[in-house]
Amino acid sequence: MESKTPLSPHIQIYKWHISSLVSICHRITGIINIILITLICLWSSLLLFGESSYGNINFFFNSFIGKFFILSITWSFSFQVLSEIRHLVMDFGYGFEIKTTKITGLIVIFGSLILTVVFYLIGKNFF
Amino acid sequence: MVQINLPENSKTKKGKYFKDKTGSKNLRKVNIYRWDPSIGENPRIDTYEVDMDNCPSKVLDILNKIKNEIDPTIAYRRSCAHGVCGSCAMNMGGKNGLACTTSHAEIDGDIDIYPLPHLKVKKDLIGDLDGLYKQYQSIEPWLKSSSNSETTEIIQSKQDRAKLDGAYECIMCACCSTSCPSYWWNGDKYLGPAVLLQAYRWIIDSRDEERKSRLKKVADELKLYRCHTILNCTSACPKGLNPAKAIAEIKKMLATSNL
Repeated sequence: MESKTPLSPHIQIYKWHISSLVSICHRITGIINIILITLICLWSSLLLFGESSYGNINFFFNSFIGKFFILSITWSFSFQVLSEIRHLVMDFGYGFEIKTTKITGLIVIFGSLILTVVFYLIGKNFF
Repeated sequence: MVQINLPENSKTKKGKYFKDKTGSKNLRKVNIYRWDPSIGENPRIDTYEVDMDNCPSKVLDILNKIKNEIDPTIAYRRSCAHGVCGSCAMNMGGKNGLACTTSHAEIDGDIDIYPLPHLKVKKDLIGDLDGLYKQYQSIEPWLKSSSNSETTEIIQSKQDRAKLDGAYECIMCACCSTSCPSYWWNGDKYLGPAVLLQAYRWIIDSRDEERKSRLKKVADELKLYRCHTILNCTSACPKGLNPAKAIAEIKKMLATSNL
């Protein structure tokens, strides 16, 4: 039944803040990670088909797009892990004060970026 | 289900523009959501130029000024004007709050005023809260005790009473529930922060004897676990309460007690 009364605007008008942003990113990265883990499993199972098929993917990962792809994966995993730790702490009933959620949210956002850079440098044998 | 777009009949369009007639130099534009059930058109956003030199500090003062001096047709709920009754809950500058306690100086730029999000609109800024009240009724928000204790006073220690602090102050203004994306999209099943905070208030009351059945009742995938700690509720609460923490406490109680 199509109701005559309108529905008041919701996501269109509601202001974003740090913890709602972290929450939605947690969901998005979660979905991305499930797909990516499947891809990584496929990649490693390509070993069974011999060196050349494995090498094809390696070639892709060494291209510019491939590197961008890997960096994105690294960020997505870092974000998910940090955000999951935040969720775990919350499940114990801690960190619900507005100020704390802002700080932990910022830690998740910037921490994931820092971790991405660190992983990149580790991959480059920087350390 | 997640529904990002508004239904066709709910899309807003530009409405009337009320130009300032006082000649004041200190003007602010106030955009207000308007919908009149007797016309049957889509909702519109009317813009008012308000003279801020002669306007007290709260958003409710702006609304009163508009209703008294510019446009008497505008409809909104208000009663106590002191943040106690919860009538004037609405969305101001993209955040839910009480119009009577939200200072308009906090809002940058034009002041956008909408009804509480994702409710059926009755008129202008008045949303339909029937669903929420039914859910509130469903948690049976009253003291339940066996008949033999009904004739005498039920004593509560100071420590047990202190547990209710932060839960009993709720004025059921619905700012939190209508700020919650989970509640927007599963409001028919998910109880929402306001009602869960009240459920928590009765679960932890030492005088109540139905703790276990209360917990069992609320232990439901949709009623309780739709909370994903987005924390819009806690940041919206005009009384400074923490519904998200109360929900986490209920989850914790369910995880640690065997029912």
